[in-house]
Amino acid sequence: MSLSIPLFIPLASGLLAMLLPRGAAWLARQLVLGGTFATLFYVVAMLVDFDSSAKGLQWVTRENWIETLGIHYSLGVDGLNLFLIAVTALLFTVCALWSALREWDRPRLYYFNLGLAETAVLGAFMAQDLALFVVFFDLMLVPFYFLIGVWGRGERVQATTKFVIYTLVGSLLMLAGAIALGVLSTPDGGQISFELADLQRRTLGHGTQVWIFLLFAAAFLVKAPAFPFHGWMPDTYRATPTPVLVLLSGILSKVGAYGFLRIVLPILPGASSTLQELMLVIAVVSILYGSVMAFSQDDARLVVGYSSIAQLGFITLGIFALDPKGAQGAVIQMVNHALVVAGLFFVIAVIAGRSRESESLERLGGLALRAPVLAALFLIVALATLAMPGSPNFVGEILILFGAFDEKIVYGLVASAGVALAAVYAIRLYQRTMHNRVGPDVEPGDLSWRLDMPAIAPVVLVLLALALYPQFVLHRTEATTTTKIAAAAAKSHQTPGPDRTASSAGAPDQSQK
Amino acid sequence: MTSTWGWLILLFPLVGTVVISLGYKVLPGRLAGWLGSAAILGAFVCAIGALLSIQDRTPEDRQVVSTLWTYASTAKVDVGMTILVDPLSVLMALVVSGVSFLIHVYSVSYMGGDRGYARYFAYLNFFVFSMLLLVMGGNLVLLIVGWAFVGAASYLLISFWYRRGTATYAGLKAFVINVVGDIGLVVAAFLLWSKTGALDWTGVFRGSHEAFHTNDGVIVAACLLLTVGAFAKSAQVPLHTWLPDAMEGPTPVSALIHAATMVTAGVYLIARTHPLYELAPTAADITAVLATFTFVYAATCAMAITDLKRIIAYSTISQIGYMVVGVALFGYANGLFHLMTHAFFKALLFMGAGSIIAAMAGEQNIDRMGGLRRAMPFTYVTFMVGSLALAGFPPFSGWLSKDSIVAFAFDRGGWYVAIGVAGYVAALLTAFYTFRVVFRVFSGEPVEEARLLERGELAHAAHRNPLTGEEEDTDVGFPGPEHHIAERELPMKFAMSLLAVLAFAGGTIGIPDVSDVLERFLEPTFADSAFQGVAPSDTAEWIGLAVGAATAAAGIGAAWLVYLRRPGLSLELARRFPRTHRFLERRWYFDELYDLTVVRPLQALAAFSRRAIERGIVQGLLVGGAGGLVRGGMTIARTIQNGYLRAYALLLLTGLAGLGLYFLLQSS
Repeated sequence: MSLSIPLFIPLASGLLAMLLPRGAAWLARQLVLGGTFATLFYVVAMLVDFDSSAKGLQWVTRENWIETLGIHYSLGVDGLNLFLIAVTALLFTVCALWSALREWDRPRLYYFNLGLAETAVLGAFMAQDLALFVVFFDLMLVPFYFLIGVWGRGERVQATTKFVIYTLVGSLLMLAGAIALGVLSTPDGGQISFELADLQRRTLGHGTQVWIFLLFAAAFLVKAPAFPFHGWMPDTYRATPTPVLVLLSGILSKVGAYGFLRIVLPILPGASSTLQELMLVIAVVSILYGSVMAFSQDDARLVVGYSSIAQLGFITLGIFALDPKGAQGAVIQMVNHALVVAGLFFVIAVIAGRSRESESLERLGGLALRAPVLAALFLIVALATLAMPGSPNFVGEILILFGAFDEKIVYGLVASAGVALAAVYAIRLYQRTMHNRVGPDVEPGDLSWRLDMPAIAPVVLVLLALALYPQFVLHRTEATTTTKIAAAAAKSHQTPGPDRTASSAGAPDQSQK
Repeated sequence: MTSTWGWLILLFPLVGTVVISLGYKVLPGRLAGWLGSAAILGAFVCAIGALLSIQDRTPEDRQVVSTLWTYASTAKVDVGMTILVDPLSVLMALVVSGVSFLIHVYSVSYMGGDRGYARYFAYLNFFVFSMLLLVMGGNLVLLIVGWAFVGAASYLLISFWYRRGTATYAGLKAFVINVVGDIGLVVAAFLLWSKTGALDWTGVFRGSHEAFHTNDGVIVAACLLLTVGAFAKSAQVPLHTWLPDAMEGPTPVSALIHAATMVTAGVYLIARTHPLYELAPTAADITAVLATFTFVYAATCAMAITDLKRIIAYSTISQIGYMVVGVALFGYANGLFHLMTHAFFKALLFMGAGSIIAAMAGEQNIDRMGGLRRAMPFTYVTFMVGSLALAGFPPFSGWLSKDSIVAFAFDRGGWYVAIGVAGYVAALLTAFYTFRVVFRVFSGEPVEEARLLERGELAHAAHRNPLTGEEEDTDVGFPGPEHHIAERELPMKFAMSLLAVLAFAGGTIGIPDVSDVLERFLEPTFADSAFQGVAPSDTAEWIGLAVGAATAAAGIGAAWLVYLRRPGLSLELARRFPRTHRFLERRWYFDELYDLTVVRPLQALAAFSRRAIERGIVQGLLVGGAGGLVRGGMTIARTIQNGYLRAYALLLLTGLAGLGLYFLLQSS
């Protein structure tokens, strides 16, 4: 199996779609839709074929790209990114499906951007070379810029501007960090390399680690978004078209969290343990702030938007607990959150379609009577969102909390308050749309089996399957996830004291493999 | 074989849920109701199968664990899809499925006119599945899953008539308070896991004996957290405020979930984790004291409020208080005995209340009722049986079961005697408020609705929500187009008759000196308890029973005096002591207290976040700063006649090149 195939199928189909004549827009749609399906099938085959006992990367592709700069075209899959790739392929497929069932202006350009976006995201998840990661990470910005700017609604110009500025600033900081990392870690007389495996073997002084860490953290936290880096979120979420929003909130937000586990923790273990508390504070504040904001929003999309800040806070908490349970919880929670967010935004779009495009909770309500199927699906997704025991999200959350309790119990306990608040905002969102009196904008009707179900059903089915058998994920991710945090966890378990850490960071690192 | 019965118990209601949910559109007439009832009957039959097969085993071998698949096992956390079949879980399964079956049958008629008929039975089946999962779950995580599922089912059924603002609010409140309890359980699970390395019952119990000495700080904390979970689910003070509001749901739901089964889950939890509580007697004592306060408190509230269902709800809170005291004093069989008899008579009382409310066209205020005895003879007789059992009048079941708890408290001696005394005081109040309802509703001058009924008609009214004055939504509203009273519906009669028999005679399995069936049956589960075999002498128990009987008679007599003999007396009392009356009627102002200390501060915090932090800092400072950057960038962009995108691309490229150059120079 070659990873380049699923990686570039979407882009290739998108390019072909672009080249089609103006009249063949329908073919463009079919092409890109087919491309996402092909990738999905390939990824499902990977899931089947995956060797869960292996600790290292599988299906590695490795070519020299820019030899003098030590940059490789290096791809690989292990337990850490396997399910993120899978959920990416799934969500792109359902979003392409959702899009294909609707009309878009300039369809060829739209589908091209969709294909490009999938390749960029998959590339970021598969890349095993830092430079390649940066390239894909920045490449993601381009299609989303167009998708929001051209097909968005309302204040889309302001929204895109904010979105681009924020992420661009983050990207530039990360770029600087990446270059610094490659250059400064090169031993005297050695060859510069950006390959993650090489970087992980090489060592950096503690001070250098810290500022590089901060550069990466800025980029990843903006992408998530975490408090207080979420200034772009409200406007962007309001303006973005539904399928793009699903991808933005479901998939793009995970790249940052994934970056912490793939790059930051293994390569900068000293800084990760030194700045652990800072990250935990950001995580916990994000949980509380996101939850409190979520239950006081009137815009249904923003309820979900702020709830994502809280959920990403939980994921960050799990990662920076620097504990195997927490990290495992974080990984499965990334998958779960992608699924529930997709479900929620699709449901909100269906609701908006039955209420004169209104997404204001004040003007909604009472839809359940005429929309029993929608209400049932929404209920499942809403309960999963609040991490009700029995949902896969609960498995993620309990592992995260166990990890946090084990390492830093105070943060864990404060975060637990977020669990109760999640119940408030999720149930409130459900009630204000489905229950109570019929809102002034509502023209009751159920979801359409032809237009809406094809996108929503797969998401809900996967959620239900994971609810019954979360071990399917945990079993495959365990071997890798635990090694990714091992170095940083070892550092944090040493006797604390910045001087000691700084001096030991200079010496060859014993704890790394 | 035992484990197969165990899994089958769970399978039936689950299949029922799925079939009814998927077939909600095509199931004709009352088929959904009968299907649901059949599924629960299947579970009950399997529970009997489990009972018989477990009795065939030797007493040491009556803890059967069975795992179907690995649920979540990673990083030393190991959770299987596991059930535990032992006398305790079998008893609970029997009570739950048996009472559930009768309430399903009752609902077949009672909900007959409701537009959400299939939805109702899908929810109800889901509830039974969840409750059975809760009691059969073989580890803490599955218990928590069942625990949350019953909470969700309860939420869905509280807000069943979801166009009522009061119903949806009550649902939200119940859900959130229950989540607080869930968090307690999760943290407790962590504490236990961190010291014992296990989450399954046997592992946790075995590990705890090695890891903890008596009253070890961690085990006390863990037990107190379990108590938080138990109190949230069982509506004990201070987490009780959701249960009276939960009466917004259909009356059979109140009977099943909010009286007979789900709310007793806290009692089950403490009984199940008894090895832990015995290691943490301090936590057990705190639990017992709070529960004692609860049963007195709830009894005082029930004396003043006028909503029929809410009176019974406070009575439920009070009776669960007795059960919690029973298990927290380590008299497990007593607590579970009362749990069982209470399930019978309280379900019966709620069924009667449903019939009364239907006859009153949705009216629930007992001050507006009266003289229904002649119009509703069947309801009257069964309601009377339930009331006598609740009041603890001999020889009804409640008399035996409640007194076993009180007698055990006296037997523990020391300050536990105070709990016993409180038990009698509350029993007096219980008898009083119970017969206040009976006399108010059935005696006196017949009201208009009663006269209509005697003429063979049934009252109908355009109904208003008594709490808000809002006119009910007729699409998803209460009451529906038709009402059903027990006198005219065979299924309702059947369910109520059977429960009346059980409420009368259910106590026979625990008569001191005569039969200790229940205690002996439960013995294998509690064999490891230090209090196994500790019990008051038969003489002491009979003295206690005599005192209990006298108390009940006194309470009933007082009610007779106040409400029948001198009808004006109650009003006069309320006038004479307006503050006390108001204090009781407002339920000691707990709701107001929480509104002031939790709800409002959170809303204020949200408003502050929205106005100050979000607008001032996140949008103002950070974005303003970035916005300034944008404007600067745009000016540059305009001067070189570029679009924004090109400017950004340029910016990106320049930055990239500059940085690359810098580091290349540095490294060489």
